[in-house]
Amino acid sequence: MSDGADRRLHPGTIALRLVKEAPQMLALPAALAFSSRTGLSGALYLAAALALVLLAAKWLAWRQFRYGVGPAEIVIESGILSRNRRSIPFDRVQDVDIERTFLARLFGLAKVRIETGAGGKDEGLLDSVSLAEAHRLRETVRAGRAGAAAAAVGSEAPAPRILFAMEPPRLILFGLFNFSLVYIAGLFALLQTFDRFLPFDIYDPARWVGLVDEYLPARWTFGAIAAVLFVAALLGTLAGVLRTLSRDYGFRLSLEGERFRRERGLFTRSEAVISRRRVQLAEVGSGPVRGLFGWSGLSFQTLGAGTERGGPQSAAPFATRLEIETVLAEVPPLRLPPPPELIPVSRRHIARSVAARLVPALAAILALSWWLPLAVALVALLPLLAVAAALERRFHRYSLDRDMLFVSRGVWRRRLWLVPLANIQALSLSRGLLQRRLGLATLSIDTAGASLINAPRIVDLRTEAAEGLAAEISRVLRYRPSPSSVPAQDGRSEPPSTAHPE
Amino acid sequence: MDDLPLTPLDRGLLRLMQIRGLIAGGFILAAALAGEVWIQRLAAVPRGLLVAAALLILLYLAVLAPPRRYRAWGYGMDGEELRVRRGVWTRVHTVVPLDRVQHIDVSQGPLERMLGICSLVLHTAGTLHSQIVVPGLARGTAESLRDEIRGRIREEPA
Repeated sequence: MSDGADRRLHPGTIALRLVKEAPQMLALPAALAFSSRTGLSGALYLAAALALVLLAAKWLAWRQFRYGVGPAEIVIESGILSRNRRSIPFDRVQDVDIERTFLARLFGLAKVRIETGAGGKDEGLLDSVSLAEAHRLRETVRAGRAGAAAAAVGSEAPAPRILFAMEPPRLILFGLFNFSLVYIAGLFALLQTFDRFLPFDIYDPARWVGLVDEYLPARWTFGAIAAVLFVAALLGTLAGVLRTLSRDYGFRLSLEGERFRRERGLFTRSEAVISRRRVQLAEVGSGPVRGLFGWSGLSFQTLGAGTERGGPQSAAPFATRLEIETVLAEVPPLRLPPPPELIPVSRRHIARSVAARLVPALAAILALSWWLPLAVALVALLPLLAVAAALERRFHRYSLDRDMLFVSRGVWRRRLWLVPLANIQALSLSRGLLQRRLGLATLSIDTAGASLINAPRIVDLRTEAAEGLAAEISRVLRYRPSPSSVPAQDGRSEPPSTAHPE
Repeated sequence: MDDLPLTPLDRGLLRLMQIRGLIAGGFILAAALAGEVWIQRLAAVPRGLLVAAALLILLYLAVLAPPRRYRAWGYGMDGEELRVRRGVWTRVHTVVPLDRVQHIDVSQGPLERMLGICSLVLHTAGTLHSQIVVPGLARGTAESLRDEIRGRIREEPA
């Protein structure tokens, strides 16, 4: 298992790590010296012993860590008891980062991070090697994927083209949909913090009732309640509009060569660059009311989850279908689903979600009726579970169209995922106990940069339908029209019209 | 999705599962023995109740569960994709297109080394299945699988 991995980290690493951990290491003996009667000398002995143990551990870790550069890959072997050998092909390396902290600079060392765009964090971390070795590694990897390096830098920079922009009237309309009472709660929290500086007590009910009294002839009449609700609604709406204005004022999405540039913000003007090649899939979000008026928002999921560049990037927060299509046209094969409606999932989805929620709901009611016997009446509300489940199924749909998979889910927050098959990293079909009884299966589609909760997952398909769909997707992935159009690093098929200049 | 015949894993994995079950069950048994002494002082609980329960758990973990779990595992690879099947209660069948693999690990813990098996770990750029693990492969099998996948990655144009 030692072929190829012929190098070790710089021995200075041991010293560097010891220095880095010294404060924690000294904490225990120091605490002991203060709290017990062992005194200073005992603490010193303990510190020395700890240092020795730590030194031995660091030395062992250093001895067991080996790396090497093969003809087409980097090999890293690590682990004291559990040995792990990792191969990172040059073709998969996105970038070689060299990081030098102040401490590392004192030791003449550098931390090398080999980024591959995989979901994990430390894909290939060499902590630490000498600076010269770090540069050598970077050069070797770059030379190893010379072709990719040439394509990575776009030489021409065409004039930016604005794809989507929002004017103030649109922003205000958008703000109306962002109604939120959270900010009122926030205001109260703020008031509470500065409580003692206020000339009155915010928790004095008499004061608030008095306030109402001043303006309204009778307390708690229908009119008074309506007025309070009206004021709350007004404040909530105002808060929504103000927040939207401050965040999205002057929203502009433009395309400059290979990258989108998004500018927005009233007070803090933020600018984000979204590389077109890093876009993995698109998500169209809407709600029951804004959907009725034909408004929805578009965001892109980009490579590199967890990093600042990754995760969903809003591309057009409040747009018409036509505007969304305009933006999507720049990132083929992304597109909205073609007219024939998406297919709903199995009808048994309703049965399963009712069954899955009935037990906790019943348990909650039982527990509540222990204190409050009247709570038993809540059982009458249980049929609502079925209504909710039926609604959920109505909005949970999917369809496969040539090279794209469309999945929609959600009643209040409606999401529609547009997934290019070429960007699917792995497929997984799972069947739980209840699902097997009902002949159902869940198809999970894994993509780069996906969030764990809001992934394009198709829950409760009939087993045969799920298997058919999985087989179809895997068939498309096998026989892609031309494998050369798939860049290895991004896993995203490149539009033929924007092929790299050779 | 079941058109590809899946290969069972090395028998060593079954041994590994049994040993792990034995260790976990042993801990539970030890805790139950300690609990038994403690509980007898507090209340008149039938003697040996806790220990009997722990023994049942041990029996399940070390004898009953491993063969079922072992049989649930299977993998298959053709030139284009790797398929892994696992799970007794919830059955999961995962498909990874080989050209999505970012890097590959072959790992071996101390127990695995004793039994002469190791695990193959495929890392993809995804988040949900950023690691696909095939445990319990004979050393030679794991290494030849790794070399085959690595070959696939290399011929991929950059």
